[in-house]
Amino acid sequence: MTVVMHPRPNPIVAAMYTVRDMDVDVIVMHGPAGCSFMASRPLENAGVRVVTSAMRDRDLIFGGADSLVRVLKEVKNNFSPKVVAVVGTCASTIIGDDIGTAIRKVDWGDTVCFAVDCHGCMDSNTDGAIRALTAGAKAGVISDGERERQTALLKAASELERNRGMASKRYLSPAASPTKLHVCRAIANALKGGKRVAVVMLAKKELAYRFADLFIAVDEARRAYGGETLFVANLDGTKGLPKIRRYCSEILAELDADGVEIDRIVGGLDEYAIAGDEMRKEIDSFEPDLRVFIGICHAYPDLRKEDILITDQPRELANYLSQQFSALGEVSSHNMVMGVHGIVHLETADTLREVVRESMG
Amino acid sequence: MRRIAIYGKGGIGKSTSSANVTDALAERGLRVMQIGCDPKADSTRLLGGDGSTVLDLMREGAGIKLPDIVREGLHGALCVECGGPRPGKGCAGRGIIAAFQELERLDAVSFYRPDVIIYDVLGDVVCGGFALPIRNGYARDVFVITSGEMMSLYAARNIAEAVEGFRADGYARFGGLVQNSRGVEGEDTLVDAAAAGMGSEVVFRIPRSPEVQRCEAMGVTVVSGAPDSEMADRYRRLAETLYTRAEDVSGGMRLGEPTEDCDCL
Repeated sequence: MTVVMHPRPNPIVAAMYTVRDMDVDVIVMHGPAGCSFMASRPLENAGVRVVTSAMRDRDLIFGGADSLVRVLKEVKNNFSPKVVAVVGTCASTIIGDDIGTAIRKVDWGDTVCFAVDCHGCMDSNTDGAIRALTAGAKAGVISDGERERQTALLKAASELERNRGMASKRYLSPAASPTKLHVCRAIANALKGGKRVAVVMLAKKELAYRFADLFIAVDEARRAYGGETLFVANLDGTKGLPKIRRYCSEILAELDADGVEIDRIVGGLDEYAIAGDEMRKEIDSFEPDLRVFIGICHAYPDLRKEDILITDQPRELANYLSQQFSALGEVSSHNMVMGVHGIVHLETADTLREVVRESMG
Repeated sequence: MRRIAIYGKGGIGKSTSSANVTDALAERGLRVMQIGCDPKADSTRLLGGDGSTVLDLMREGAGIKLPDIVREGLHGALCVECGGPRPGKGCAGRGIIAAFQELERLDAVSFYRPDVIIYDVLGDVVCGGFALPIRNGYARDVFVITSGEMMSLYAARNIAEAVEGFRADGYARFGGLVQNSRGVEGEDTLVDAAAAGMGSEVVFRIPRSPEVQRCEAMGVTVVSGAPDSEMADRYRRLAETLYTRAEDVSGGMRLGEPTEDCDCL
C-alpha cells in the first residue's frame, strides 16, 4: 500500500464531518485547542457548534477527563443541544482517556451524547467516519441499516482513492488550475457544431451545490447554440441521511426553477464511489462527442484522454493533469458551499456564460 | 559533570541504592543532585526529600521557583522528584518529559552547578518518556540494578537494549550491572552470565544486609543512618565505582552535541 506523504484529510476530521451529517448540534473535540481547527470553522459556518476540551500539557500527564467533563457540562447548560458527539484525538487516545466515562458524569436529561473513539493515526480517514457511524448507530441517532450502507460506501471510497485518487501516489504537489477558457470554448464549439455533450456530476455531498451550476450554464449554451446534451448526476434524494437528501431536493428544485432537467439521476450524494458503472451505461448509450465530468471524476470507470475533468481538489487536479487529461480546478469550492441552501456560482460555468454572451454579440 | 542514570525493575532497590550513592558522594563534598523519575515520587525519601514534585506544582499552575522543587537533603544533596499521575491515569512518560523541560526552563543545573546528577528511573516501562534520561543527552552513563531473579534480569536486558538502540545518537552508554543480591541460588553466576549476554559486566555486588531495612524503616540512608557500618562502606565503594566509571563531560543539564571523536559507533 502506498503511504502517502502529502497532507490528507485525517480520521478525526472525517469523524467530525460524518457526525455533522447525522444532524449533531455540537461536536466536542477532546484534544488540544488547535486540533482540526481549520476543519472546524466551515462546520461552524454550516451551523454545527464545535468546541474543544483544550487539553494542556497537564492533561496529558494527569489525564484529561476533568477538562472534558467541564466542557461537556458547559455544552449541556449553554447550548441545550439535542445531540452531542465527542470526538477523540491523538492526544486523548495516546494517553487512553476514557471518554465514555466522562460522558456518564454529566446529567444529560433528554440530550443524546455519544463518543467517537478515533485518532489521527488510524489507517485511513474513512476509518474515522466508520467509527462515527458505528457510534451514531449505537446511540440511536442513525439506523443500523444506514450505518451498514454508509460503511460499505466509505470502504468503496477508500478503495477508489487508493487505486485511482489522491492516495494512489506517494506525493502529489497541489496544482494551480489552468484558465477555464479553453474548456468552455470546447464545450461551446461542440454544441455549435450540433454535437452531443454529456455532463456528468459525481459530487461528494455538499459540493453538489457548486458543481450543479455547470448544468445550468451548459443548458444555457445548448439553448443558444443547439446541439444535444445529456445531464447525469448523483442527486437521488431517496438515498442517505436526511441532511444529504435535503441537498438533493434543494438543488433539483432550483434546477427545475431554472428550467434545467437532469436526464438521468444515478445514485445519492454519498454514492459517488459506486455510481460510476451505472452512469456509464447511460452515457455510452447516448454516444456523446464530448464528455465533461465534474466532482470525483476518477470514480467514473472509463475516463478517456479527450474528456474534460473538473475537480475542487488541487492535488486531484495534479493527478489528472499528470495523466494528460484536460482538467480544471475549482479550488476552495468546499468553503463556498458549507451551510448554503442554494446553488453557488461555478467559475467554469460563469466563463461558459461569458463565452456564450460574447459570441451572441 | 557526571550524569549517571540508574535503572532497574520496580522494587529491586534502585531508590535505596541511588540514595545511598548520592549520600556517599555528597559526604565526600561533591555537589550531587538526585532526580527521581518515578510517579511514586519516593526516590529521595531516604535523603530527606519531602516528596513535593515538579509535576504537582506544574499542575497547580502557580509560578514555580527552584527552591520549591529542589530540596536540600543529607550532606547537602539536592533532591528532585518528577512525580506523575495517579496510577491508571494520564501518561507518566509524558510527565517525565515535561518535568525535565521544566527543570531546564528553570535552569536548575546552571543554578546549582552539581558535580554529579543521579537519575533514578523506573525500568519496567521503557516507553519514550522513561527512556528520556538515556536520550536527548541527559544521562551519559547508564547502570542497571538487578538481582539474580529472572524478571529483574529481564528488565535489565530491556534497558541494555534500549541504551544500545540510542547508542548511535552519541549520548548515553551502558555502564554495566550492579547486583543487588537477593540470596538467589547461584546469584553471582546468573548475573555474570546475563551481563556477558549483554556484552557488559557486573561492576559491583551489593550484599544483603539487615542494616538496609533498618535504616529504611528510619527513613534514612545507611550512609547517614549507620555511617560506621560495613554496609555504609559498601555503598561508599559503590558510589566510588560509579563515579570513577562515569565520564566527566561538560555542558548543562544536557550534554552538548556529540563530537566527531565520540565513541558512539
